[in-house]
Amino acid sequence: MIPVLHTEHLTMRAPRWDDFEAYAAFRGSDRAKLLGGPFTRAQAFNQLAEIIGHWTLRGYGRWMVADHKTDEPLGIVGLYYPEDWPEPEIAWSVFENAEGRGVAYEAALAARDYAYNTLGWTTAISLIEPANERSVALGRRMGCTDGETYQHETLGLMHIWRHPSPEDLA
Amino acid sequence: MSVLQTERLILRQPTPDDWPIYRDFMMSDRARYFGSSGDLGATWKAFAAELGHWQIYGAGLWAVTLRDDDMIIGLVGPWHPPHWPEKEIGWMMLSAAHEGRGIATEAVRGSLEHAFDVLGWDTAVSYIWPDNKRSVRLAEKLGADLDQGAMGPTPETLVYRHPKVAA
Repeated sequence: MIPVLHTEHLTMRAPRWDDFEAYAAFRGSDRAKLLGGPFTRAQAFNQLAEIIGHWTLRGYGRWMVADHKTDEPLGIVGLYYPEDWPEPEIAWSVFENAEGRGVAYEAALAARDYAYNTLGWTTAISLIEPANERSVALGRRMGCTDGETYQHETLGLMHIWRHPSPEDLA
Repeated sequence: MSVLQTERLILRQPTPDDWPIYRDFMMSDRARYFGSSGDLGATWKAFAAELGHWQIYGAGLWAVTLRDDDMIIGLVGPWHPPHWPEKEIGWMMLSAAHEGRGIATEAVRGSLEHAFDVLGWDTAVSYIWPDNKRSVRLAEKLGADLDQGAMGPTPETLVYRHPKVAA
């Protein structure tokens, strides 16, 4: 039910139970501070289950990004639209072992291509913490423009980066 | 899709169509013993996690329905995230209108039998918040005993251990 995408260096596939240790390590690390963490293993379990259930609820979601040769889990990238979000988002986070390899960029491009060309989205956003410099840089690299904001009931002010439209990219 | 049948009920996998009823319950005061945060986003994510639990384990909380009506009236069954000390049979009845008819008892019995006979569990517990008298009564009605020596997910949680039943 969760489609598999293949890019030059990556396989984007359904998260599996045996990804849990890598995922929980990431969610429990300081890297998760900019995402509201770090999180306990209990929270990480719910979050991994939530990633899978999101696909059932929305028909799209986030993939486990894995090395296409070794299947090593490298990050979570894809399409994210929980009930309290301003609009559907292209979201990315990569694990420590994937930093500096262009993994987030390659996977986020594939996710955007899937949103536009398979799902028919006409626009897409990414929500980026201004303090998250790497994500801001990736937003720029993907051609996003900032300036819009959204006041979230519990998370506070969110910064919206809007992706180029399908027409802009054509 | 997995389905269990009991005398009056069909227990099936939860689906996206069950979301509005789950949401209304979790956003209400009736959910106070069931980890309700009153936060719509968190509630939606918890529902997504319940659906995801099925796909991770091949089992999870069953949606309880009447035989002639597919509307969800409760969630009952296996719940065992990695941080839970033991495998749990959990329950929450979403529909106040269906309380007092022994539906929860029948559904939990069905899911216990399934856990022992099909999932191969050796033992099963239920974790109950001490103030939740209704759930304590249900555990006792099912023949479960308070296990003072067992650890719960939090120190306050009561641990009820179910007798191993054969179908």
